[in-house]
Amino acid sequence: MEQNITLAGNIPVAANEDKMRSARRKRIILKIVQYAVLSLITVFLIFPFVVMIIRSFMRDGYSLAEFSAASTLKNWKDLFSDGAYMTPLLKTVIIVVVNVVIMPFASSLCAYSFARTKWKGKELTFALMLATMMIPASIVQLPLYVLFSKLGWLNSVLPLTVPNLFGGGAINIFLFRQYIRSLPKELEEAAKIDGASAFTRYARVTLPLCKPILIFVAVNAFTANWSDFMSPLIYMTSEDSYTLAVAIYQNTVGVRASAINVRMAAGVFMSVPPAIIFLLFQKNLIDGLTVGAVKG
Amino acid sequence: MSVIVQNEQNEKKGFLTPRRRRALKGWLTGFLFALPVILGILIFSYYPAIQTFFWSFTDFNGLEITEWSFYQYEYMFTIDPDIWRIFGNTLLYAFVSVPLGLVLGYFLALAANFKVKGVPVYRLLFYLPVIIPGIVSGILFSTILGGNEFGVINEILHALGMSAGKNFKFFLSGETAMGSLLFMGVWTVGGSMIIWLSAFKNIPDTLYEAAKLDGANAWQRLVKITLPMSTPMIFYNLITGIIGALQCTTPLVIDAAGITGAPGSGFDNSLYFVAIKIYNEAFGGGAYYAYASAIAWVLFAFIGILTIIIFSTSKWVFYGEED
Repeated sequence: MEQNITLAGNIPVAANEDKMRSARRKRIILKIVQYAVLSLITVFLIFPFVVMIIRSFMRDGYSLAEFSAASTLKNWKDLFSDGAYMTPLLKTVIIVVVNVVIMPFASSLCAYSFARTKWKGKELTFALMLATMMIPASIVQLPLYVLFSKLGWLNSVLPLTVPNLFGGGAINIFLFRQYIRSLPKELEEAAKIDGASAFTRYARVTLPLCKPILIFVAVNAFTANWSDFMSPLIYMTSEDSYTLAVAIYQNTVGVRASAINVRMAAGVFMSVPPAIIFLLFQKNLIDGLTVGAVKG
Repeated sequence: MSVIVQNEQNEKKGFLTPRRRRALKGWLTGFLFALPVILGILIFSYYPAIQTFFWSFTDFNGLEITEWSFYQYEYMFTIDPDIWRIFGNTLLYAFVSVPLGLVLGYFLALAANFKVKGVPVYRLLFYLPVIIPGIVSGILFSTILGGNEFGVINEILHALGMSAGKNFKFFLSGETAMGSLLFMGVWTVGGSMIIWLSAFKNIPDTLYEAAKLDGANAWQRLVKITLPMSTPMIFYNLITGIIGALQCTTPLVIDAAGITGAPGSGFDNSLYFVAIKIYNEAFGGGAYYAYASAIAWVLFAFIGILTIIIFSTSKWVFYGEED
């Protein structure tokens, strides 16, 4: 564009216009190609979920083309009237709410220690904590199953909540620590001079400044616990203790295996809360994801 | 005078001089803040890991231990007919799916970086499949990639003119099941797109401008600027991605009933992964805790060795001038 304007004095007007026109045409074609690429990818990535939604409004045993003949609301009515999904929903909500409350606080408390206090063994403890991310879940699930069964915690929400009181996850502590270290120290030092105790400094000075990362950890706690499948599958085996994810899984085998499209409705239903949460907090989520991922 | 005062204090407080006391208090404060996580990693990570290590040398079945031996390892490597297939499947899946995801995520990020209106909306749509719960995408894709005429892709192909008798088998064949699972992973490529996008943002535009002036083409700019500048991110995501993929349990959902074998083993064991094997041994009714522990430790040892190899060969990682 700029080049064309500066050249305008030297080149005959017609040739100049020609150039501008072809440049503009090129740009328009480029944009059309770009939109086509973006839309194709979107169609590809979104089509399974459109299928899931359509199927949730259809009777079983029909192909998608027969939608008008097979459309029904029965799957959704079944989903909401059937205890097979609604009791698990309640269980899931309890687990999610508890973890959304405790995980940000547990992890920020421990992160404060790693970011702002000095004690012997701090670096070693931090390294040992990070190393736990390498330990496969399947190595600890078995002994924990034995432990929880001895404590009589199986089939209750305790195995899925109590462990989170103890630090709330290594990756969350790591993210909190990075964030707290990036905050200016001066505020804390001022509070210290005013005689505030360490806990007051954590709760009154640092925590209010951690809002973005608090939201990130809370939102992650929501989606992780809402979607968690393996842990409840192992620790909650009696039918009246299923979470939503386990209920959907267990209903793929056994008596309810035939009700495929009720399962599709359950799938749509289960996808909606994380999607809403993601849309509401996308900025926090993407910033938080990249703190860990890019800085390594 | 001052000497006397100090002596008096020493007598009063003994070992704890004021300075030592302050230091101890500071130490204690910091330690107490971290106490929950110290207890947490001991109770919920390290102690259980050590427990399974010991169990792997016993015949523990949840009730009692009657003997100590190497039998579980012996059984694993010399008798269990499925185990090599399982290790092979797991390695193949981890070492294909993770790099594949990073490469596809790169191209998706290029598209998501187009300078056109509405791109943020497209980015959202690209990321949306990532936040769908795993159990949901499991049941969903066993329908989409259904191996008979009711599978959605087969339906579409029939509508487009594929002969009615012919169906793509997808998960219902030992030859195509692994490919189908990798194909399913393509839908969650939005995750690595986000990471590439922020990696792009961290690279100064001036580098690209200078390279363009020097006549570097798109490929050269990728190889000489984007990739070297993104190595910490590639490195981190390779490690965490591979560690995660080695523990994949998705087939447990796709093949919940176990069409030709144990639940989650896929058609002809084509999707039998280590984590699923461990689950089946421990919780599949037999309570073979000792054997499950032994397999889990082989997995852990492999992850540990892999991490050490990646870290010790990571001189190619560019961390910028500050670090």
